[in-house]
Amino acid sequence: MPIDRVTLQILANHCGAATESMAQTLYRTAHSTFVKETEDFTTGLATPDGKTFASPYDLGATWFVGLDYGRAFKLVDRYEEGDICMTNDPYSGFVCTHSPDVHMWKPIFHDGKLVCFAVGHIHNTDVGGAVPASLSRANVEVHQEGIRVPPVKLYKRGVLNKEVLDIMLLNVRMREQNWGDLKAEIAAMNTGERKVHEMVRRFGVDVFRDGMTGLLDYAESQARALIRKIPNGEYFFADYMDEDSVNGFPCRIAVNLIVKDDELVFDYSESDPQLTSSLNMPTGGDVRHVLLMIPVMYVLYTMDPSILLNCGLMRPVSCILPEGSILNPRFPAAVGMRTLCCIRQQSTVFGAFAQALPDVVPAACGDGGPLINIRTMDTRTGRRVMANLDPITGGGGALPERDGTEGAGMNFGFFKNTPVEINEAEVPVKIVRYGLACDTGGAGRWRGGSGTTLEFEVSAPDSVVTARNRDRIRFTPWGVAGGGAGKSSAFVRNPGRPDEVNLGNTDVVTAQPGDVIRITSAGAGGRGDPLDREPERVLTDVRCGFVSAAKAREEYGVVVRDGAIDDDATKALRSEMAGKRRNEGFGFSAGRIEFERVWTRPAYARLTALLRTLPVEWRFFVKHRVFEAIEKLSPASLTGTGAEVERAFREITARYPQLSGVVAAE
Amino acid sequence: MSYRVGVDIGGTFTDLCAFDETTNDLFTLKVLSTPDRPGSEVMEGLRQLEARYGVAPSRITYFTHGTTVGVNTVIQRKGIRLCLFVTENFVDVLEVARLKMPDPYDLRSRPPVPLIPKDRVLPIRERMRSDGLIDTPLDEASVLTALAAARALGAEGVVVALINSYRNSAHEHRVKAIAAKAAPGLPVFCSTDVWSVIREYERTITAVIHGYVQPRVAHYLGSLQDALRGAGVPAPAMVTKSNGGVMSAELGKTACAQMILSGTAAGVIGASYVAGLSGFPKTMSLDVGGTSADVAFIENGTPQYGVGEMIGEFPIHIPTVAVTSIGAGGGSIAWVDPLGVLKVGPESAGSNPGPACYGRGGTRATITDAFAVLGYLGSGELGYSAIRVDVDKARQAVGAVAQQTGLELVACAEAIVRIAVSGMYMEVSKLVSRYGVDPRDYALQAFGGAGPMMACFLAREIGMRNVVVPTTPGVLSALGGLIADIKSDFIATVFLDLDDAARAGIRDTYATLERDALRWLREDQGYAGEHSFVHSADMRYQGQSHEIETMFDGGTIQRGDVGAMAQAFHNRHAQVYDHADPEAPVQIINLRLVVIGRSAKPTFTATREDKRAATPGETRRVVLDGAARDVPVFARTDLTAGQFFESPAIVTQSDCTTCIPAGFSGRVDAYGNLILTLEAGGA
Repeated sequence: MPIDRVTLQILANHCGAATESMAQTLYRTAHSTFVKETEDFTTGLATPDGKTFASPYDLGATWFVGLDYGRAFKLVDRYEEGDICMTNDPYSGFVCTHSPDVHMWKPIFHDGKLVCFAVGHIHNTDVGGAVPASLSRANVEVHQEGIRVPPVKLYKRGVLNKEVLDIMLLNVRMREQNWGDLKAEIAAMNTGERKVHEMVRRFGVDVFRDGMTGLLDYAESQARALIRKIPNGEYFFADYMDEDSVNGFPCRIAVNLIVKDDELVFDYSESDPQLTSSLNMPTGGDVRHVLLMIPVMYVLYTMDPSILLNCGLMRPVSCILPEGSILNPRFPAAVGMRTLCCIRQQSTVFGAFAQALPDVVPAACGDGGPLINIRTMDTRTGRRVMANLDPITGGGGALPERDGTEGAGMNFGFFKNTPVEINEAEVPVKIVRYGLACDTGGAGRWRGGSGTTLEFEVSAPDSVVTARNRDRIRFTPWGVAGGGAGKSSAFVRNPGRPDEVNLGNTDVVTAQPGDVIRITSAGAGGRGDPLDREPERVLTDVRCGFVSAAKAREEYGVVVRDGAIDDDATKALRSEMAGKRRNEGFGFSAGRIEFERVWTRPAYARLTALLRTLPVEWRFFVKHRVFEAIEKLSPASLTGTGAEVERAFREITARYPQLSGVVAAE
Repeated sequence: MSYRVGVDIGGTFTDLCAFDETTNDLFTLKVLSTPDRPGSEVMEGLRQLEARYGVAPSRITYFTHGTTVGVNTVIQRKGIRLCLFVTENFVDVLEVARLKMPDPYDLRSRPPVPLIPKDRVLPIRERMRSDGLIDTPLDEASVLTALAAARALGAEGVVVALINSYRNSAHEHRVKAIAAKAAPGLPVFCSTDVWSVIREYERTITAVIHGYVQPRVAHYLGSLQDALRGAGVPAPAMVTKSNGGVMSAELGKTACAQMILSGTAAGVIGASYVAGLSGFPKTMSLDVGGTSADVAFIENGTPQYGVGEMIGEFPIHIPTVAVTSIGAGGGSIAWVDPLGVLKVGPESAGSNPGPACYGRGGTRATITDAFAVLGYLGSGELGYSAIRVDVDKARQAVGAVAQQTGLELVACAEAIVRIAVSGMYMEVSKLVSRYGVDPRDYALQAFGGAGPMMACFLAREIGMRNVVVPTTPGVLSALGGLIADIKSDFIATVFLDLDDAARAGIRDTYATLERDALRWLREDQGYAGEHSFVHSADMRYQGQSHEIETMFDGGTIQRGDVGAMAQAFHNRHAQVYDHADPEAPVQIINLRLVVIGRSAKPTFTATREDKRAATPGETRRVVLDGAARDVPVFARTDLTAGQFFESPAIVTQSDCTTCIPAGFSGRVDAYGNLILTLEAGGA
């Protein structure tokens, strides 16, 4: 029976209270600093068939709202009161998306009948495997990414399954910390159960059951009403990661967003094949997989922050995901660093929405700056130190009515930094500089937010600096409506010294005493023609150090002399510049423009279609061979139609007799 | 004959409380606040106190005052034009802050615009190391350059906040000395003088808020002192502090950061006092005003303390009575979303225009209007005749919402109340889980203009058994000021591993803190009575990013017993987080000391409880849980110690109305507090 709308709103608040209480309990009792600092965990309530119908807003990761547990729930035989199940296998039920995320679910009963589940996950710092913290771009199969536990009962009718726990803890590097964090997650499950029992008592089990459906339906209606505001049409966009593997070729995610009345379809058919590195996103082909839905959730929430964040929101949305592609990899592809892939998939979807909803969606935010972790030694005490320094975030993209947020924001708005003083007190490093980087935000009528920069001096030999999710050197954050792209990220050892080294997209670096490491994230994209920006605003940017006087002249045509605008020179320069250039659409980096002269959309369309005819295991290999072949051709000889791609593909596949007879038809 | 007077200025009302030291009588009063002429409401209040109760200004021997002038200066952005001097290469401390966006789900979410824009942030060439040794000596020329720039930028004050100054403040103080010579008369505020704590953003923003409001607050306090003198009040003015204590107004002129949440904290002190009188060792206080509800947890008469309370959009990192504001007040607005679902808040009609039924120009339906429609608020006076309730206006406003939902008027009003209460329930649930407490162990003490109106509904939702309504729920902050002790906090960041080697450092640092504290109490504050110390430290396990405050007894400190200190921390950690690790190394980040000089308190005497049923003055037709019924209305002034009654019922008094749905039994305790107990199965 449909629930009345007043009760529905009250129930929504009570379900919110349940999930927020679960999150607060988990946060309060978690052991690891990682969980406390990054809030990389979730809590929620799910229907018996796995649809998350309530999630917290205040605490926890923003990236897993509305997770569908359905497939994982089915992998456990029979549920009884007091059970708590867990899994951290990215390939069992596709709720877990990389091995450090341990998901749990607890069935909740009333009078012996299943009512719903408490659900959630926590990111354990380490689950074993090839490298500390379990994640590395260099991993090529999921077996290297630590112990994997298939869906199993950690508690059976209230009794701890110690055998399973012992096997798990034997295989991780910091067993006490893992067990501490798992206990926090268990406490959250039990809080959820208690809160559901309270609700069932208060509202009655039938009303509660109707309420679950009602909340999902309500979110669906909210989503449909919002989607109806998006103009019908098809919106194509592609974005790139600089490297698809260590020192690899670019990796492209392409989407064709189809808006039809109150439904959205995201067609990812033109995206790259799955990779022999750990950047794959394990969706199991679920057309509404939560990782794929993140950017959609952001856009809908930005349109209306009063929407309910649950599974129902995504009912009007689906994806097309060819198997064996980066967004639907086949076992045993490694997936540990899927975060970078998620980041790029998000910017790709935002690019499509930026065409459909230009007044809602900002230009691309600055990313490609990593999470910095250091392993070093305190020479005075002999203590070994392993610490996260800071997330090096970029700024927010420019908006229709204002500049992008400096240094942070958008889909990285959940990050927190570590104070300089805390870093220096705890880690034997000297922070040389921390703040915003000048001239990084894309130029425009509205400027993209500046990236941040961190520079530190290492004090002990053989200190290892890891920089997860490095990207955005070649393909930088795009501007919109004629705005410029953000400036490249940078990773440099000993800047300005004779022994300066450009570390590019390297993610692990060994540093010696006296070495200075500087990391700068990319800046965000700008919006609108920079020549339309008021000279006074440009002057303020120069005074604030967001833009240099040189760039003010070069990009904005504003001549600043001795801290003031030279009006005549500015007028003359601007009219000269106005004649030369006009760009109405996306503002891409020079690196991207150059790359896309060779790798046009038709060329890519040919490549992805042809690769799909190969066995999955061959696709990444052949992609690299094709790229090498195209690189050898003179740029002038390329047609951009994909003919050269096809020729290269045929030649390469002909070289390998193993392929004869197994290449499928297109 | 002498009086102790407490005054608290809120957004709508200014509350006054006068305690007659001879008769132990307590007189209370409300006048409308005059935000555009701060201070004049105090004078008006004193005039009325004399006119109504014969409290002659010349007989006022103790005067405390809580004010929102500091908070309002920040919220309205009316502070002075400041420049910020920071270590070079770290000039973005305010722009970058701690990165996290206010609403991380919203792509357009933005942090607040800094109180000092980037072009007024000036670099100083110097660098202190984290161990307090000098890395780069202070370049005095860079200070002069910055001062010249500040002058050119029209600075009315300068905040100096340098990296690692918490460990060695020499450079900050040298900058101040140079400025005193080069730019005499320019106010300079050093971050280490405001609150010398590790974490550069937190220390800097605290100093910035302090500098931003200081001249305004000092001016305000100066005019108040003049006005009191002019009125013939012999007592020196005291101000309530964010830490729940008081200090002289004279000191307040230079210690603004410490009094910025004065009224809020005083309310909790008042609540703690009432909690003691009413015999509920565990109490959750709920202060519901027009825009928000402030929640605090009190145990054995002591509230929780914390840092990082929000002043407008900015956190301030000084020890503060831990109060969490939840976005629901009597003025929260009811609205209907495009799908026809009724919502309440977060938008509020605030104190201006306020609920429609206040007749001050508000037209949108608020929680208060819903209560008026349901019949709880008769067409009577509220707030000591400052306001009259106009039920027709409430019906109009709620009627408009009812039309959009398709509900009947009265059903809609009830839905507004139920949804509002469930929203508050959600917020309180979060707090309960954050602190890891069981709400069923707590009594709910309701005050503020709208607290007693909503408290029983909320208690029922949360499962709290007892609701306490103090005798003067509308003026509890003013009363809290009368009860508060003279109190100040001292801190030293030590960042030590807690082992035997740390013993001497801890003892010496505490000795220094105690000296500083006594100097403050005796010389600055001019207090001659008995004092006491509370020793505590912010501690953590090595590798943790958050500290928790751990209390020590004086003996532990004198013995330098690091083992006992570690044990105290393990115990506290287990209490707060449900686990402890006695094997893990422990760090002491800050040593803290509170010095307390006891103030003379009003003594409330218990009245013998005369157990008999109370007699209602009238009955009123009220809609309750879906049905209209006649409900007895008791006048609070008629209720005497020991009287009891059954719910549903309404208790009216001049500063608020207590609404009691079915399922509660009411009684009046020996101190006049109303105790409402949810009967078994009453939920």
